[in-house]
Amino acid sequence: MTVSTAPVPVAANASGTTQTTTRRNRLWALVIYILTALYFLLPLAATFYWSLRAERGTLGFEAYRRLFEDANFLPSFSQSIVNAIIAIVISLVIIVPTAYWVTLRLPKLRPVVEFITLLPFVIPAVVLSLALIILYSRPPLLLTRTYESSRVLLVCVYAALSFPYMFRAVDNGLRAMDVRALTEAAQSLGAGWPTILFRVIFPNLRVALISGALLTFAIVIGELTIALFMAQRTLGPYMANLTRSKVYEPSAMAIVAFAITWAAMGIIQLIGRGQQGSIGGGH
Amino acid sequence: MAYLTLTNVSKQFGETYAVQDFNLDVEKGEFVSFLGPSGCGKTTTLRMVAGFETPTNGMITLDGSDITHKSPNQRNMGMIFQSYALFPNMTVAQNIGFGLRVRKMSKAAISERVQEMVSLVNLENHVGKYPYQLSGGQQQRVSLARALAIRPNVLLLDEPLSALDAKIRVSLRAQIREIQKKLGITAIFVTHDQEEALSISDRIVVMYEGNVEQVGTPFEIYNFPNTQFVANFVGSLNTAVAEVIDRENGLLSVDGVQFASAAKMDGYARGDRVRIAIRPERFSFASEVKKANVVDCQIENITFLGSVVRVHILIGNSKFTMDTFNYPSLALPKIGAADQVTCSREAVLILGHANGSAN
Amino acid sequence: MKATLQSDVQPTNLTVRGAKRPSRLPIWHWLGVLPFFIFSALFLIGPTLVLAYRSLEDPDGGLSFVNYLQLTNPTVINAYSLSIRVSLTTAILGGLIGFLVAWAVSIGGLPRPFRSLTTTFSGVASNFAGVPLAAAFIFTLGRVGVVTALFELLGVDLYGTGFSLYSYTGLVLVYLYFQIPLMVLVILPALDGLKREWREAAENLGATPVQYWLHVALPVLIPSILGTMILLFGNAFGAHATAYALTGGLFNLATLLIGQQISGDVLHNPGLGFAVAMGMVIIMGVSITIYSILQRRSERWLR
Repeated sequence: MTVSTAPVPVAANASGTTQTTTRRNRLWALVIYILTALYFLLPLAATFYWSLRAERGTLGFEAYRRLFEDANFLPSFSQSIVNAIIAIVISLVIIVPTAYWVTLRLPKLRPVVEFITLLPFVIPAVVLSLALIILYSRPPLLLTRTYESSRVLLVCVYAALSFPYMFRAVDNGLRAMDVRALTEAAQSLGAGWPTILFRVIFPNLRVALISGALLTFAIVIGELTIALFMAQRTLGPYMANLTRSKVYEPSAMAIVAFAITWAAMGIIQLIGRGQQGSIGGGH
Repeated sequence: MAYLTLTNVSKQFGETYAVQDFNLDVEKGEFVSFLGPSGCGKTTTLRMVAGFETPTNGMITLDGSDITHKSPNQRNMGMIFQSYALFPNMTVAQNIGFGLRVRKMSKAAISERVQEMVSLVNLENHVGKYPYQLSGGQQQRVSLARALAIRPNVLLLDEPLSALDAKIRVSLRAQIREIQKKLGITAIFVTHDQEEALSISDRIVVMYEGNVEQVGTPFEIYNFPNTQFVANFVGSLNTAVAEVIDRENGLLSVDGVQFASAAKMDGYARGDRVRIAIRPERFSFASEVKKANVVDCQIENITFLGSVVRVHILIGNSKFTMDTFNYPSLALPKIGAADQVTCSREAVLILGHANGSAN
Repeated sequence: MKATLQSDVQPTNLTVRGAKRPSRLPIWHWLGVLPFFIFSALFLIGPTLVLAYRSLEDPDGGLSFVNYLQLTNPTVINAYSLSIRVSLTTAILGGLIGFLVAWAVSIGGLPRPFRSLTTTFSGVASNFAGVPLAAAFIFTLGRVGVVTALFELLGVDLYGTGFSLYSYTGLVLVYLYFQIPLMVLVILPALDGLKREWREAAENLGATPVQYWLHVALPVLIPSILGTMILLFGNAFGAHATAYALTGGLFNLATLLIGQQISGDVLHNPGLGFAVAMGMVIIMGVSITIYSILQRRSERWLR
């Protein structure tokens, strides 16, 4: 078989040097970025500007002062924070052992667990609210009669809704620390389970746990839908009320909410350097 | 006029020079390897030939025309990557035919050329498969076929065998060389593995820290290294510090032990301290054969490597290794015993003045 | 000197896993995961199953699809259709813009800080949704919003042209605020998966950048892009809080309809309400499934 080696001419529409292409790309990238940034910054800027105009004729933080002095603000805010903390604790206590066991002892259960962690995306908050009311407004599972029992239900639901994020965070953390090798090394050195959990697993999971906790916090703190239908006086319904009743305070509240979310996400980004940004829910 | 020339090519990244004053003439159909450790600039030079990097200085010409600033997609060169770089969404046949599709060849012509290439690399049974269904060696062969399909002017190979298993590496490099010879394509092969470079190249360019250390045939590079780096990097080497005793007769002293060398001593004066080098395989046991140099030594250790037996000896106060072929009736000395080894005058190389730095 | 192979460490009370031992799962292993399943059953699966069951109840107490047949109710149809329209639009628009932004901060060549800033902000923006987001947009484009006022200064009566924040257009505008970041976050890893060598190999073989994108990059990315757009669809479809805060719950969106149904049986038919809710779950389930399948496919190529 003879194989000729005469070169084949290239198409005539080949572009210029690689350097100009990269420069052109970078220009387009900048244009796209700036246009999108405008879209995202405009509402924030407008809101901030609005929040400074509570006092007639001058720019000041009057709206913020009124917000923080509002009789209902602090109670709802603290309720939300307490709810968030309890939900985080429940979630951590349930998810960490689950992720650990599924990784180490029960790998066959992984698909089932991962499916369950998909459920909060399949069941919208409003549908879940309806379902909860159906299930829990009648004996023997009567939980919606009193404010406190509804609150318990709400917190438990929040914990369940945080499972996807918590599980993903812990799972990534376990994978990053090669949990199997560490556990076996600890076992061969004679460590018992409590030692392994508290001296080996948890310390190495710190970053993952904090990320998961902060994400859960961000979701719970401003959650509206379920809190609304459970007649809870948390930050979400409070903010919704504010939007309908006051003029300037809602803008201050929006900026405060933004700042809190930014703080939470910023901390996650800082401690989890290089890991993917976190997607929230509750919208 | 050489087919591919690089003249005074350098590449600067910020303050550092990745490649400095690179000069090379490559003849048509020649197989040239760039050999050196990581960071020596060999890949950067290759990428400049390909067009993915632009030289800071210097000129690259192909068949007489200046291609220094031509974009990569106009140079008609085929490149093989270490990571194969096969398009994951295309079958073997589609990958190979990609360059031809870009050149708007007819379907029939593409199909024919693809068939030709597939037979060339012996992958007839895999034409419909996707890259993830192939082994590393198979993927690299597809990559080779894909590059050759466009009938490139030059074939560029960037450490193509580094990601493969040892056995495949050996067989594939032979295949690459065979195909290259058959097609008469000019090829540049980048590697850090000196055995690879020595076994398949027409010429080797040894590089270190952005500079060309030596250009020559494998035989020249191995047997007549110009610099200490080349001597050390290519093949294994014993080095020791010696004092010049007698310039005319080529006599040196290593810790009091006398060696006679056939190397030119013009640049050295009596009493100068120089660095000498002797390849391990140039030593033999004096009990078996006697050459020009017969020296006393002490056996420190013996390592059995299969076909080769490596004897670690002490001559004076300097450590040497001696490689000797293994055969069943080989009588090895005892560890700790005194013995005698021998080597020829030509085996004793002089690398230059001995400075403070150890190597 | 005989080497001893026995370790001095006391054996633990754990089962040593060796290759020769048959795998047995003691009951107490399951205890580790039991709380998880109980919790999920109580607060996720259980309620949903009960909802599903109730949606299949007909007036006589038996099981049938009678409620589902009534989904042709005009209110329901309108609500679904508006939800689908909004979700589709924001999925496609959000997907395209999100893709472009992700491209800009990765392959497009913008400096490193742009990327981490974008990732952090995307996390913030997608969590900002709900009341704060709606409020922010009201202050921007509401009837007395800052931008509306700016338009007035320029002599344009924004609301006079028929635009309203409390309409399909307004909703799309607001939803994009969390759709675009979601797309950016999910598609960035996929873009990172595009090996530089593919572009170089294509260039080397004679392809222009356009040809490379057409024949290699886009085909490889399509499963990811499509899958994420479907994720975006589901995301918008199930969104409640933002729409509620924006419109007071009075808009005819599927989620808002269910909300109204909870507050006060607006459909005058509880069973229908359950069917509407389950209809949502089915749509979401389908979209998540398609997304998962496409994700797996793209992982195979972009690993």
